[in-house]
Amino acid sequence: MSQATPRATPLATPDVRKVADLARLELTESEAVLFAAQIADVLGYVEQLSEVDVTGVEPLMQPLELETALRDDVARAGTPVVDCAPEALDGAYQVPQIL
Amino acid sequence: MMKTIREIHDALDAKKASAVELARDFLTRSKADRRGAYLAFCDEGRVLAQAEKADALLKTEGKVPRERLPLLGVPIAVKDALAVQGVPTTAGSRILEGYLPPYTATSVARLEQAGAVLLGKLNLDEFAMGGSNENSAYGPVEHPTHPGRVPGGSSGGSAVAVRAGLCVASLGSDTGGSVRLPASYCGVVGFKPTYGRVSRYGLIAYASSLDQVGPLASNVSDAAAVLRAMSGHDPMDSTSAPRAGVGAIAAPDWSQVRVGVPKEYFIEARGGLQPEVERSIRDALKWYESRGARLVDVSLPHTRHAVAAYYLIAVSEASSNLSRFDGVRFGKRPPAADGARDLADFYKKVRAAFGPEVKRRIILGTFALSSGYYDAYYKRACQVRRLIQRDFLQAFESCDVIAAPVAPTTAFRQGEKASDPLQMYLNDIYTVPVNLAGLPAVSLPCGEDGEKLPIGLQLIGPQFGDERLLGLARAFEEGRA
Repeated sequence: MSQATPRATPLATPDVRKVADLARLELTESEAVLFAAQIADVLGYVEQLSEVDVTGVEPLMQPLELETALRDDVARAGTPVVDCAPEALDGAYQVPQIL
Repeated sequence: MMKTIREIHDALDAKKASAVELARDFLTRSKADRRGAYLAFCDEGRVLAQAEKADALLKTEGKVPRERLPLLGVPIAVKDALAVQGVPTTAGSRILEGYLPPYTATSVARLEQAGAVLLGKLNLDEFAMGGSNENSAYGPVEHPTHPGRVPGGSSGGSAVAVRAGLCVASLGSDTGGSVRLPASYCGVVGFKPTYGRVSRYGLIAYASSLDQVGPLASNVSDAAAVLRAMSGHDPMDSTSAPRAGVGAIAAPDWSQVRVGVPKEYFIEARGGLQPEVERSIRDALKWYESRGARLVDVSLPHTRHAVAAYYLIAVSEASSNLSRFDGVRFGKRPPAADGARDLADFYKKVRAAFGPEVKRRIILGTFALSSGYYDAYYKRACQVRRLIQRDFLQAFESCDVIAAPVAPTTAFRQGEKASDPLQMYLNDIYTVPVNLAGLPAVSLPCGEDGEKLPIGLQLIGPQFGDERLLGLARAFEEGRA
């Protein structure tokens, strides 16, 4: 854990603009350049995970590995969530007309 | 100024103060504070109504019913990632500016049911992403005693408020150390429960398999009282452990206590661990030994992969969780969005309100989950996660608690790490393994460095060993007083 961190060549250099597009994020020119460098840095660092022998190791997604809880299909009082919408009409979410 | 639950309850019993007087006093001082700890205050009417109810109950009962209402009249505040019905909740982000939740987080509701008086919402790194509270869209939080230093994050406001006496106890959330780190930097107690011990219902999600709500307080007993009041199964959270809440904490039987010292945390950290931090932890270990505990060398071989695994898993989960911020059902929708070309453009205009660190993590997470890269990044990180959990399971066969630093150094200066995200991430080396494995852990003050900056001792327990962990922490705190 020394402060001089090894920066390996990352497996991939993502096209940050394309990935941002997938996530519905818009980046300015300077953000795209800055983030590309910073993300490459992080990916270079996490590259070390490829050194670990994970043969036969099941991925751990959740530390307790609970079974999904189910409940009876009985109606309960709802929460007035439509009130939180930026725009709502007659109990429905209102969005600009986009075809 | 009263800092502990006991002081408050003794004063209420002796009629030296009323709950209303306390609430007014804490509110006044909190509103005047310039350290940026609070983002919003509950309506004064709401606060006073809670305090008046406490006073009325006190009048009827004669004394505070400490068993039944353990937090009666106690002024608390909560991280602004926790929803409180009708109270502005922003998660430190512009995208939720003006958002008024239609419901209250279970953890907060339970504290109010235990008699607590809720003062307001505390500042945090945006969407809990950060280690210094420099990422809040509403301004940074100042260190409580050392201006110019960061308080730690992401629950910076929660730690500062307690240390500065702006509330008696607070709630934070801990995904990769966000309760423990600010507790360590600010010199207060911060506890992260076993995953699933406290409901996440109403906690704005960052990384669902890692997030936990945790208490911060000036002493272990108070942190334990808050934890007891809010823990236990919640049907509204499908990741809530099917268990009752945390029970009472007991004094340790020293002859049965084995304290594990992970060699990777000390030997391999040389060069990265501040000498005074190491000395302070080792002094703490000597104290445990002096009580009769045995020190045991343990190994956590996958330690050096923890930060890498965390920063793939957390960002991946975050990229999914934050996709709900689309300007349709809640949150801000800027005027520019109305002129959007198409739906994708609409979303982009709404999501421009995210800060840079949030955008970075969403992009990283989206990439790590994307087709062609999922196996090499996210899946592999999850496999390493299992190995990290196994390391702890194995270590706990030969010890009962693991001692560690919370952070490699004491509080750093504002701006010091802000331009190098990776450097910021590496600060989490001692905290993230705990979240990956779903274990309980506590940070408690154990010393100061040459500049009087607080140092935190971290104690880590096995899953559901929260009570025992708290007992060992309280013994240290009382023994070293």
